Formats: sequence, structure tokens, C-alpha cells
Amino acid sequence: MKYFIRLNLIALLLSTIAFVAIGQIELTKDEWQKQITSLTTSRNDLKNKLEGLQKEVANLQKQDGEKALALKQCQDEVAALHGKEEAPFIAKLDAIDARINELTRLSNQDLWARKAELDTVQKWISNARKDPLSALKKFKDRLDSQQGRLDALKKNLEQIIASGQIMPIYTVGTWAKDRDCLWNIAKKPKIYNNPFLWPKIWQGNRDQIKNPDVIHPGQKLKIPPKAKLTKEERSALKRYWSNKQGK
Amino acid sequence: MRKQMNLIVIGSAMIAGSFIGCSNKPSEAEMKQLNDLKAEVSSLEKAISARESEKAELLKAIAEKDAQLAICLKDKEALQQHIKGMQ
Repeated sequence: MKYFIRLNLIALLLSTIAFVAIGQIELTKDEWQKQITSLTTSRNDLKNKLEGLQKEVANLQKQDGEKALALKQCQDEVAALHGKEEAPFIAKLDAIDARINELTRLSNQDLWARKAELDTVQKWISNARKDPLSALKKFKDRLDSQQGRLDALKKNLEQIIASGQIMPIYTVGTWAKDRDCLWNIAKKPKIYNNPFLWPKIWQGNRDQIKNPDVIHPGQKLKIPPKAKLTKEERSALKRYWSNKQGK
Repeated sequence: MRKQMNLIVIGSAMIAGSFIGCSNKPSEAEMKQLNDLKAEVSSLEKAISARESEKAELLKAIAEKDAQLAICLKDKEALQQHIKGMQ
């Protein structure tokens, strides 16, 4: 009997706990009403928001269509203006890029040896700029970039020459045809563009110029970097003039 | 002993009765209404999220087209000047 009572007490306790638990999970009518009210408000707000968004999206779709049409029209007008296929022009630009890339990879010595190619590439760029397609931003930007890289190569070459790492060689022409003397050679724009720098060429080639008034056609003269006359060069110049006056 | 047992049985019945008798729960139909409303709200939220994504994509596409159009108009002008310069 005692056992039966204990069992009954335990069952009572368990059923009480179960009732309390179920009571916590399940909604009361008030809670249900609150949730219904809250959800109804949310639903109405969301419906309004969705309606607004649908209108906005429809408007944007219309705008997108109009923009696409305007863009197509503009592109057609541009194509009609230049009236050209882009592919051959792109091939030209690719060739310029390839040559610049090749020159960029060269050593200073090799770049010096192929310096004439810089002028060739410059001509290619200048010719490409004459093409109407070069006015288009995508091509203009590319040409500008190529010009920048070519300028960098030219500057690099100038620095190589200025540092004296490599001296340009000038082959003396005849007096009759080229009027070549040290004064006139120094005067040439591609040499110093300044005749008063002629002692530089003299002093840079003392091994083959004993008398600066005498140079011979076919002589290969090293051209030192353009700079002011050094102390030694000025002294040599003084000696030259004193010798001249002495004579 | 029988008294005790009777008391326990009566007590249990009272407690259980109090839970059952005093409950104020919504009916099944009302619960269905609540669940339907929840589902509707959830569906609306999803629809809004989709529309917002669509709006963002459209805004991006329009901005891109605007940029392309600006470039195209500049190209057109530059091209006209280039052609004029060549003549």
C-alpha cells in the first residue's frame, strides 16, 4: 500500500510539472491576440514597403532600358564617325607594346646598341595618333601609357650616356661634305648642341687626336657625356690657345 | 490508509482540473490563423529582400551605363575634333 501511495505521489508530481511546462509553451488567448495584432501591423507595413519597392524597381528598369538605348545610339554614332574596324588598329598597338616590352628587357649595353629602335617606336606611336581611333579614350589611354614607357626608356638611355657607362661614337665625315671639325661636331644638336664644348671630344679622344685642329674622315670619336668643361678640359683649352698665339 | 489514498486521488484530480478548467487557449482555427499570418510575413520579407537585391543590381547597372555613356560622349566629341583637325 505504501508503495502504491509513493507511486501515486510521484505520478502527481510529474503530471503537475507536465501541466506547468505545457502551460508555458502554449499561448494564452491574450498572447495570441497580441501576436496577431503585431503580425498584422508588420504584414501591412511590409506590403506597403513591397509595393513601394516594386514601383521603384519598375522605374529603375525603365531607366536602365533608356540608358542602354542612349548608349547604343552613342556607340553607333561614334562608329559612324570613325567608320573603321578596330581590329587592325588594336594589332598596331599590340605591336608597339610588344616592341616596348622587348626593349625594356634589354641590358643597358643592348639598349644602347638598339637605340635607333626607340625612334622607330616613336614614329609608330606618332602615326597611330593620327588615326581617328586614337581619339577614343580606350586607345588614347593605351597610347599615352606606351608613350610614357617609351619616354622612360629614352630617359634611361640618356642616363646611361650621362653616366659615361656607354659613350656614343661619332664617325667623322669629310670637311667638304659634312664640315666636320671638333667645333662643328660639338655644335650638332645630337652631340652637345654647344660648340664651346668641343674640348670634351678632344680630351675624350686624346689617344687619337694629337692636334684638335686635325681630325680625319672615318675616325670614330667617343662622345663623352654632355656637361660643363672640367678643370682638365679648361686647362687643355688654355694650352691650346697659348700654343696658337705662340705660333 | 484508505483515507490517505482518497485524499491523494482527490488532490490529484483537483490540481489536474485546475489546469484544464482554468486554461484560456486559442482554438485550432485561431492558431492556424496565427501561423498563416507568420508565413505571410515571412514570405513578404523574402519578397522585399529579393526586390532590394534587384534594385541594387539595377542601380549598379545604371551607374555603369552612365559612366560608359559619359565616356562615349567624350569619345564622340574628341573624335569630331580629331576629324576637324585632320581636315
